[in-house]
Amino acid sequence: MGILNYFKPVSVMTAEEVREFLKKRNPGEYNLVDVRQPAEYEKEHIPGSQLIPLGELRERINEIDPSKPTIAY
Amino acid sequence: MEGGIRAWGGLLAEGAPEAGMAYFPDTAGPKEMIGLAWILEEGSRRFYSELAGILKDEEGIAIFHDLTAAEEQHKTSLMDLLQDISGEETAEDIPGSLAGPDEIGDVMEGGMRVSQALRWTEGKPLERILEFAISLESNAYDLYIKMGRRVRDEKSKKVFAMLGEEEKRHLGKLASLLERKL
Repeated sequence: MGILNYFKPVSVMTAEEVREFLKKRNPGEYNLVDVRQPAEYEKEHIPGSQLIPLGELRERINEIDPSKPTIAY
Repeated sequence: MEGGIRAWGGLLAEGAPEAGMAYFPDTAGPKEMIGLAWILEEGSRRFYSELAGILKDEEGIAIFHDLTAAEEQHKTSLMDLLQDISGEETAEDIPGSLAGPDEIGDVMEGGMRVSQALRWTEGKPLERILEFAISLESNAYDLYIKMGRRVRDEKSKKVFAMLGEEEKRHLGKLASLLERKL
C-alpha cells in the first residue's frame, strides 16, 4: 500500500461550472466562501461571497449553513 | 473552485498541485496514523527547506527556515509518541510499512508530491507560494484534528492536539506575511 492511498481527491468545479451554478440559483441557496486573506478579498472577490480566511474556518464554521451546497475558493 | 479567483477572472489557471483529503480506513490504528503523519511531515520539511534555498525575499527565506525546523521537531514528537506506544519502533520501520520507496520525502500534506510542487513554484511570486503554503498548513491542521478524534489514548490525543495547534500557528504566521506582502 502506498501513502497516496490515504488521500481522496476533493471534488472541484471549474470557474465556468461555478458561473452556471450561481446563475441558476438564488444567493440564499448556497454558501459561497472566499477562504483567502482579507486584503485579497478587498482587492477582488466573487460577488456575494463571504470572507472566512482559512485560518479562521474552524472557529467560524457555524457561519456556513451545512444544509446548503458550499463552494470555496 | 479550480484555479481560484484567477480562473474566475478569466486568467489561465496554472494549477497549483491539488490537495486530496486524508482519510483512514476503519482498521487504521494509532501506529499507522502516527506513521502517516511522520511521512507527511518529512515531505513538508523537505519542501520548505528547498524553498528557503530558492527564494530571494528575506522574510520568505526566514519563514520557510522556521517551518523547516518546526516540521523536524514535529517528526521528533511523532517518533517519541510512536516509541511510547509500541516500545521499539524506529524511523526506519515507518517508511517501509506505509509508503513506497519513491514516496518518502516526496509526499507531503494533502498527498501532494514535493517534486511537483517545487516545479510549480518556479518563477512564481512569493505571494502565490505563501498562498500555497497556507493550503498545506490547513491540510496539516485538518489532519491532526481528525487524528485526535480517532485515537483513544490520552497521550496520543494530547500530542495530536499540540501538533494541530502548532500547524494553526504556522497558518497564522504565513497569513500575516502574505497580508504584508500584498
